[in-house]
Parts: sequence; C-alpha cells; structure tokens
Amino acid sequence: MTLTVALPSKGRMKDDAIAVFARAGLTVSAIGNDRSYRGRIDGIDDVEVAFLSASEIAREVGAGAVDFGVTGEDLVRESLARADERVEIAARLGFGNADVVVAVPDIWKDVDSMADLGDVAADFRSRHGRRLTIATKYWRLTQNFFSTRHGIQLYRIVESLGATEGAPASGAADIIVDITTTGSTLKANHLRILSDGVILRSEACLVRARKPGHDGDPRVAALIEAVRSAG
Amino acid sequence: MQFGAPDFAADLARALDALEAPRVDIPVIQPAEPFLDMAGEDLRRRIFLTESETGESLCLRPEFTIPVCRAHIAETVATPRRYSYLGQVFRQRREGGNEFFQAGVEDLGETDEARADARAVSEARALIAQFTPGADLSIILGDQSVFEAVVAGLGLPAGWQKRLIHAFGNEQALDAMIARLANPDASAQPDASVAGFLARGDVAGLEAHIEQVMQETGYSTHASRSPAEIAARLIGKQALDATRLSPGSLDALKAFLALDVALDRAAPALSDFARHAGLDISLAQQAFEARLDALSERGEDLASIRWRAAFGRPLDYYTGIVFEISARRGGDLVLAGGGRYDRLMELLGAQEPIPAVGFSLWLDRIESVRAGK
Repeated sequence: MTLTVALPSKGRMKDDAIAVFARAGLTVSAIGNDRSYRGRIDGIDDVEVAFLSASEIAREVGAGAVDFGVTGEDLVRESLARADERVEIAARLGFGNADVVVAVPDIWKDVDSMADLGDVAADFRSRHGRRLTIATKYWRLTQNFFSTRHGIQLYRIVESLGATEGAPASGAADIIVDITTTGSTLKANHLRILSDGVILRSEACLVRARKPGHDGDPRVAALIEAVRSAG
Repeated sequence: MQFGAPDFAADLARALDALEAPRVDIPVIQPAEPFLDMAGEDLRRRIFLTESETGESLCLRPEFTIPVCRAHIAETVATPRRYSYLGQVFRQRREGGNEFFQAGVEDLGETDEARADARAVSEARALIAQFTPGADLSIILGDQSVFEAVVAGLGLPAGWQKRLIHAFGNEQALDAMIARLANPDASAQPDASVAGFLARGDVAGLEAHIEQVMQETGYSTHASRSPAEIAARLIGKQALDATRLSPGSLDALKAFLALDVALDRAAPALSDFARHAGLDISLAQQAFEARLDALSERGEDLASIRWRAAFGRPLDYYTGIVFEISARRGGDLVLAGGGRYDRLMELLGAQEPIPAVGFSLWLDRIESVRAGK
C-alpha cells in the first residue's frame, strides 16, 4: 500500500514544510517540473507526495483520502467536525504560527473578557433590535468557543472571506473572530483581543488520518518519528 | 396521514382534535432567520439549510413552535387562541433519524397563567399515558420565575441578576458564576484612558471621550454600541466586578438550586427554604402554589411529578414553567417537553405582550417505547 503525504502547494508553507522534511532526512522532490502537483520522497518507493492547498489538505486528511498532511491546526479544526476522532495531530512543526482570536473594538472599554461579551450579547437584541454580529470565516471554531466553552448562544455570524478586521469599523459586524500573528493588523483597525479570547494557538502540524491500516505499519511510525525529531 | 408517520399518528390526531386546539398547517420549507435569531447560531449545524435563488436562507422545518407563533402574528387573530400541529421535523442528530414526527399544542394569550400551565402539563401527560400504555413515566418540572425571585431577593446588582437568569438551566455556566461571586477577581483595572473619568464619576466626560475616540478612529457612534451604552456599562461593571455574595447568600442560592422534591411537598419545601434564607419571595410562591392548585383541579397526581429548582432552559424567551415527561428505561428517554415562553411572541414581532405556553411530543421516541425497544 502506498502512503500519501499531502504538502502545501505554494508559498512559505510549502518551503517550510519541505525544509522540515529535509531536516527529518526526507528529501521531497517534484515529479516532472517544479510546478508539478505530485512528488516523491527520495529513497523511499512507496510514499507519494501530493501538493495541495492548505485547506484542501485539512479536508483530504479528514476524509482519509490521504494518509498524512501538513497544514494549520486552525484549518483542521475548522474544516472537520469532531476532528480528534478523524485525525491525529502527529507532530507540531514550529512554523505557520497564528492565533485564532476574539477581538472587539478597542473603545469597548467595558469588555475585557468573554463574560463581559456574554453580558453584551444577552442585552444586544433589546437595545439594538438585532443580535450581536461576528464577522469571521471560522464558523465552527466560533460556534464551539462561544456556545460550548462560554455558554453564549445569542449572536449571529456574518460570513467574511477577506479583510475581516475591517468589519467593525465599516459597520458590517460588531466584533470579529480572526487569525492574527503579530496583532499589528488588529491594532491598526483599533481592535483588541479579549483577555480570555484566544480560541486556538495554531501552527503547522503533521496531521495523520486515523486509518485502521496504519496500525502496525512501520513506515507510519517511522515517518512520524522522523518529522517529530525535526520539527 | 403522511407517509412515514407512526401507526398511532391517526389516533393521536383524533386525540389532539379533542383538545380545542385547531390544527395548523405549517409549510415544510421555512425561512431560516427566525430560528437562528431565536435559538442562536449553534442551531445552524443542527438544521438543514439551503438558499433560495435570491439568496434567502431557507431551512427544513426544525420545529413547530416558532412557525406557529409567526403564523399567529401574521394573521392578527384575537387571543386567547390554541393551536395544535402534527408533522415531520428535520434535524441533524447524532442519534435517531434526521426526519421524525412531532405533535403538540401552543396556547397563546391565556392570561390565567396557572391554569394554562397546568393544562399544558396535564394534556401532555394524558397524551403520553394514552399512547405509551404501561410505560413507567417520570415528569419533571422547573420554574424560572421562582429562580428570578430568589436572585432578586438576594439583593444582587441588576447586572448579576441578569447574568444568573440568563444562565439558568446551564449548570456549568451557573456554577462558574457562583464560584465567581464567592471569590471575585478584583485585580482587573479599568483602562488608563478611562480610569480618571471613572474615579471622578464623570459620566458626561466619559461619554464625550468615548464619542471622540470613535470619531477619530472611524467607528460609527450609532451602527453598533453607542458611547452612552459603553459608558453606562463601564460604570456598572465596576460594581459587578467587586460584587461578593455573603456566605449566607451563597448558601441560600446553592440550597435553592439543590431543591428536588415531589410536587405534593414542593410548596412547604419552598416556604421552608424562603424562611431559612430570610427571603421574601411571596409573589413567586403564590404563583407557584396557584399552579399546583390548578394541577390538582385537573386531577393530576402531584406526588408523581418532581420539581427540580435548577431545571430550566437557557434560551432567553423561556420565562416560567418548563417540563419534561420521560420513560424510565435504562436512561430516561424524553417523550414530551414543554414550557412557558412569554417573551417569544414579542421577539417575533407581536405588537403587544402575549403570554404563551405549549408542549411538544416526540413521536419517534413514543413509537420506540410502544414497541418495547
């Protein structure tokens, strides 16, 4: 049986992933030209590399269509319901670091915590005739964090596929859930992360599909071991 | 009867006909907005959503109460008025099928609340008893208005009362709040930019400052929270953060939430509690006892119904009684649920307050009890 490893197809993520594999003693080379979407690991015959977009990788690993993938934990947890039943975070790779956070307009000086936000959400409809709105592309992470972790039900999600941090100032939404690395974009838009508003500290991970065939397969254990020691 | 309906559905329809509650027809395809707006975003992953050609969010009917109430408001008919329904609902469930039948009654505008509450419990119980003969049933009842009276009696600031009432029925959230009231975290300091206004109690200055910052940073002062709203909550929040419940009040709150007695002993248990805690909750007690009397008048056996003080639903339109009827078999299987939702009609756009109570039966579960599964 051939093992398939999905790696990011472009950008920093691709370079960093290939670098980690190289440190692990696994040299990835593209089949055909550099732009090819298929590759192999030199010296190992039965491992195939597929170059995909990071969000596709999360879905493909979740569906078990590939055995391993390198992608952000945020995408794994956002794309997959009950992610831990379907995939294993086999190794954390130390790049692609980004936090998924809840941020409010900085001028909301009375809102420091999720508990404060819960108060505001509970009253929002009677004050404004509508629910509190959250701009985000992270539907699942937002719902889990607000509903399950903090018991906040009364809000509406406004889907945002780009420039989420501009939504509160433009009036498209009241607050946001978005990804941030340095926080500078949030600051530039006069937004502030709540004290307990970090939903997920994400980084690139080696993610394994939980497939029964993996049990007792020495290549699976060896690949994880090698990447872990290099991550 | 509709395809796929359980074999007792025709008999159940006849039983509903006898309840002075004309049947309403509710379309299977519904606008999704009212459901998401009332129950929250969490519902999104439990319903079947689609979009119309023009981009309107539509869903397969996930329940009947909200569409029945909307239909009532749209037709502007006089109250009191009762409706019944029987049909398929569609939800994404981990257990059981995604499409199943529900039946129920909504009782809108009856101002004798004790009587309407008792009628809902009694009709639901009678229907369940009729259609699951021989089953070992348990009935549990809770009442948010008694909890609201207790919380008000403890003398907590309005903000804390709201928080606790909002969390009623969510044990975890309520526990966290009680822990916080026992041990407030006074370490949080107000932001330096507003601390001066707060220290001086300068509300007008605070508002003006917030308004100025919003204008400078390109935030609308009316599209979302206004300067006045932020300033008012900032001032109130200092009191909230510092609120500490005395050990006596904490014990009272915990003792109340632990109350769990049969209804025939509920009135003395509640008055014992109030006396021990030194709380005046007599109005809530009267309403509670009026409902007990109304249940007795309907011939209900109070000893067979349990009152659990902490039992509630953490949705902001439930206001009073909530109840569930279950079959005891291994784990309890809820066959019927109901409650008072006085706030829903106004949230859905009714021009005046309309008291409302209703119940719903889970036909798939009733069928499995009938089959002895």
